[in-house]
Amino acid sequence: MNTLSVKDLHVKINESHILHGVSFEVPTNKVTALLGRNGVGKSTTLRSIMGFYPGTGSVQLNGVEILGKPTYKIVQSGAAFVPEDREIFSSLTVKENLSLAARGKNNEKAYESVYGLFPELDTRAQQLAGSLSGGQQQMVAIARALLNKNEILLVDEPTKGLAPKLVTEVADVLARVAHETTMLLVEQNLALVKRVAEHVIVMDQGRVIFQGGPENLSDAAWVHQMLGVSGGHK
Amino acid sequence: MLRWKYSRPLLALLLFVLAIAPLFAGNPLGKPGLQQTMAVAFLWGGLALTYDLLFGFTGLLSFGHALYFATGVYVSCILINHQVVPWWLAALIAMAVSSLLAFLVGAASLRTSGITFAMVTLAFGEAGHVIVNRNFFNLTGGENGIALDATHIPQIWIGVVNTKYIYWTALAALIFTYVVIWWVTESSAGRVFAALRDNEQRVQVLGLNTQHFKLLSFVISAALAALLGFVMLIAAGSAAPRFADSGVTISLLLMVVIGGAVTRWGAVLGGIFYSFASTRMQDLTQQESFKKIPHWIGGPIAEPALLLGLIFILIVMFSPGGLSGAYYRLRLKALSHKKP
Amino acid sequence: MDTFILIGITGIGLGALYFLIASGLSLIYGLMGVLNFAHGSFLTVGAFVGFWVASKMGAETSMPEFILAMIVGGLAAGLFALLIEQLLITRLYERHIDQALVTVGVSLVVGALLGGWFGNDLRMFPTPLWFLTAIDVGGAKIPADRVVYIATALLLLVGNWALLKFTRIGLVIRAGVENRNMVNALGINVKKAFSTVFFLGGFAAGVGGVLVSVYSNGVSPLIAGSYLIYGFIVVVIGGMGSVPGSFLAAMLIGIIRQFANYYVTGLGDFVVVILLAGVLLIKPQGLLGKVKA
Repeated sequence: MNTLSVKDLHVKINESHILHGVSFEVPTNKVTALLGRNGVGKSTTLRSIMGFYPGTGSVQLNGVEILGKPTYKIVQSGAAFVPEDREIFSSLTVKENLSLAARGKNNEKAYESVYGLFPELDTRAQQLAGSLSGGQQQMVAIARALLNKNEILLVDEPTKGLAPKLVTEVADVLARVAHETTMLLVEQNLALVKRVAEHVIVMDQGRVIFQGGPENLSDAAWVHQMLGVSGGHK
Repeated sequence: MLRWKYSRPLLALLLFVLAIAPLFAGNPLGKPGLQQTMAVAFLWGGLALTYDLLFGFTGLLSFGHALYFATGVYVSCILINHQVVPWWLAALIAMAVSSLLAFLVGAASLRTSGITFAMVTLAFGEAGHVIVNRNFFNLTGGENGIALDATHIPQIWIGVVNTKYIYWTALAALIFTYVVIWWVTESSAGRVFAALRDNEQRVQVLGLNTQHFKLLSFVISAALAALLGFVMLIAAGSAAPRFADSGVTISLLLMVVIGGAVTRWGAVLGGIFYSFASTRMQDLTQQESFKKIPHWIGGPIAEPALLLGLIFILIVMFSPGGLSGAYYRLRLKALSHKKP
Repeated sequence: MDTFILIGITGIGLGALYFLIASGLSLIYGLMGVLNFAHGSFLTVGAFVGFWVASKMGAETSMPEFILAMIVGGLAAGLFALLIEQLLITRLYERHIDQALVTVGVSLVVGALLGGWFGNDLRMFPTPLWFLTAIDVGGAKIPADRVVYIATALLLLVGNWALLKFTRIGLVIRAGVENRNMVNALGINVKKAFSTVFFLGGFAAGVGGVLVSVYSNGVSPLIAGSYLIYGFIVVVIGGMGSVPGSFLAAMLIGIIRQFANYYVTGLGDFVVVILLAGVLLIKPQGLLGKVKA
C-alpha cells in the first residue's frame, strides 16, 4: 500500500529545470527518507508536492491527484508540512502558532498528545515563538503538523542547524512519531536516517537514482560521497 | 514585420520629415498650434525615456521623478529671471543641482528597495511640490508659479511666429536624451543595470557594488530630466507647481507602461502619444457637438485621465510590455513561423 | 500654555486622520505586498457616499445622522475596495509591481469619473452644528470636530486591535503579515484574509474620507491627495504591517507638523520629510517594523 505516489514530476523554477521526471512511492505507515547531496532537488520535490511550485507529471495522495491544487487544499486533504528553517511565526505566541494550525473543532485530545510529546510547549504556551531556542522552534514546527489527523507528514531537514544534543532530541521525537504515521523525510544526517527510516530514496541531479531498504546504506565511502551526508554525531 | 536593416533608415527618414516639416506651410506641422503641441509631446517623450532608465532598465520604481524635472524648470527660471548667470549657464547649473539632489535623495532612499523605495521617493518628491507651493523667500511664486522673463533668453524662442524654433529645440533635446540613454544602456554600465533588474544577487556576487550602479542610474536620469525641464520652461514660458506634482511621475509611469519598458522607443512613443492624446482630447471636448452628450457620460470623458487610465489598466492586466512589447512578440511569432 | 494645548490637540486630530488612511495601507502592504495607490480613491468614494447620505438629511445633521453617514460611507468604500481586490488585484497574484500599477490606474479612473460628474469644487459637508463650537481644555479653545476625529481613530484602533488579537481571521492576518506562504501550508486559504484586509482598509479609509471632508470644509475628488501621501509616509515611519506602528507614527507626524507650521508657515511638511529621511537612515524598517527574513 502506498500513501503517496509521484510519477514523472518535472518542475521548472524561473526557467531553470530543477526536477527531471522524479518518480517514487511512499509506503503507508513507514518512514521514507529522501537523500542526496545539497542542490539535487530534495527540498524542491517536497515543496512541489505541497503545491508551492507548479509542475507537470502526477502526484497522488491515496489515489487522488493533488498536483496543481492550491497548497491549502493539499494540506486539507491530509499532507502536513514541516519546512526547512522551521518557518514558525515568531511574532505569535506558541499557543497562537498551534491554534493557527489546528483545523478540527474539538481538539483537546490532539493538544494533549502534542503536549505529551513536547511538555516544554505547554509551559511556554504564552511565550513569543521568536524568543524560543532553535530546538524549541523545531518542536513548534513539528507540533503544528501533529495537531491534525494527517495521511502523511513531509519533513524537510529537521536537524539542520541544531546542536548535537538537540539533534538527538528531535530524532527521539521523530522516532516516536514514526510509529503512528506515514512520513517522507529529507535528512542529511545518516545516523538519524538509519535509525528511523524503513525505506530510502536517493536523488541526484533532479532524478531518483535509488529506491530500497536502508540496509543497503553501509558506511562505505561511496555512500557518503554520493549522498553528501555526514555519519552523524555518535 | 519590419526587419532591423530597414527600421534604422526608416527612423532616420521619420526624423528628417519631422525636422523639416515646419519649414513648409502646406502641412499641419507648418502651423504654430501643432508645433507647440508636438514640442511639448517631444519633451514628454524624452522625460518618459529618462524614467524608463530608472523603472525599465534598472528596476527602480521611483515615484519622485517629478522632483528632478521641476528642479530643472525652477532653478533655471530663477537664475534667468534674477540675471544671476546667462541662460545656457543657468541650464547647466540646473542640471548640476538636480544631479546633486538626486545623489542625496538616492543615497538615502536606496537604503530601501522595492515597494518601500517607491513610497520613500514619493515622499521626497512631494516635499519638492510643497516647497515650490509655499513660495519660500519669494523665489518660486507659490501656487501661481513664476513667468519666465523673456528679455534674458535668445529672441528666437519668443513669439508665436517663432514656435518652430521651440519645436526644433524640443526635438533636439529629445534626440540628445535618446542618444545619451542609448549610450548609457548599451555600455558596460548599462549591462550592469539590466543585470541588476533581473538578479541583484548575481551582480553582488561579481563583486560590484549594486548601490553605486543604482545611484548612477538615478543621477543620470535626474540630470537629463533637468535638461528637459529647462526646455519645458522655454516651451511653457513659466515655471508652475504642476511640474512638481506627483501626478507628473505617475504620468511618466503610464507613458512607459503604455509604450513598453526597456525598448527605449516604446517609452518615447508612449510619452508622445500620452501628451498628444491629453492635449487633443481636451480640445475635442470643447467643441459644440460634444456638449450634446449627456453629462453622466460626457463629464468623465472630458477628463483625459479616464481613457488613459483605462488603457493603462488593460495593458497592465493583459499586455505586459506595452505597445513595443506587443510589437516584439508579434515579430518573434512571425520569425518562428518562417523557420520550420 | 493654551496655544500649546490647542496645537497639540489639533496635531493629534490630524494624526488621527492620517492613521485612518495608514492603518489600511499598512495591513494591505504587510499582508499582500501591495502598494495600494487606490487607497486615496477609497477615501474619496467614502467621502462622496457619506456626503450623499448626509445631504439627504438636510443642511445640517444630528450626531446619529452624521455617524450613520460615516458608517455608510465606510461600508461603501469597503465594498468598493473589495471589488477592486477581486476584479484586479487577485488576478495579478504575486506580481507586486503590476499590482501597484493597476491601483495607480484605478485612482486615475475614479478621479476622472468623480471629477467629470461632480466637478472639482468643494461641496459643504452637512455636520452637526456643535462641530463648529469650541471645547475648553485647560484654558485652550479646541474646535469640537477635532475631538470627533480623535475619538473615531481611537475607536477604530481598538476595534482593529481586538479583531487582530481575538478572532481567528485576525490570527490568520497577523501570521500572514509575517509569512503568507506558511499560512497556506497550514491548510488555510490566505486569500480570504486578503479580502478581509481590503474591506477593512477600505472601511477605515471611507470613514476617514468623511472626516477629511469635514476637516477640509467640503467634499471634492481632490481631497485625498495629500492624505494618501502622508499615509504612505506614516506607514514607512511606523513600519510596514504594524498597526500600532502606524498609530504611533501618525500621532507623531500630526503633532510635529502642527508645531512646525505654527512657528514657520509651511515648515511642517519639510520637517516631516527630514524625519522620514532620518528614520530611514537609522532604522530602515520603521519604528515598530520587523526585519523580514
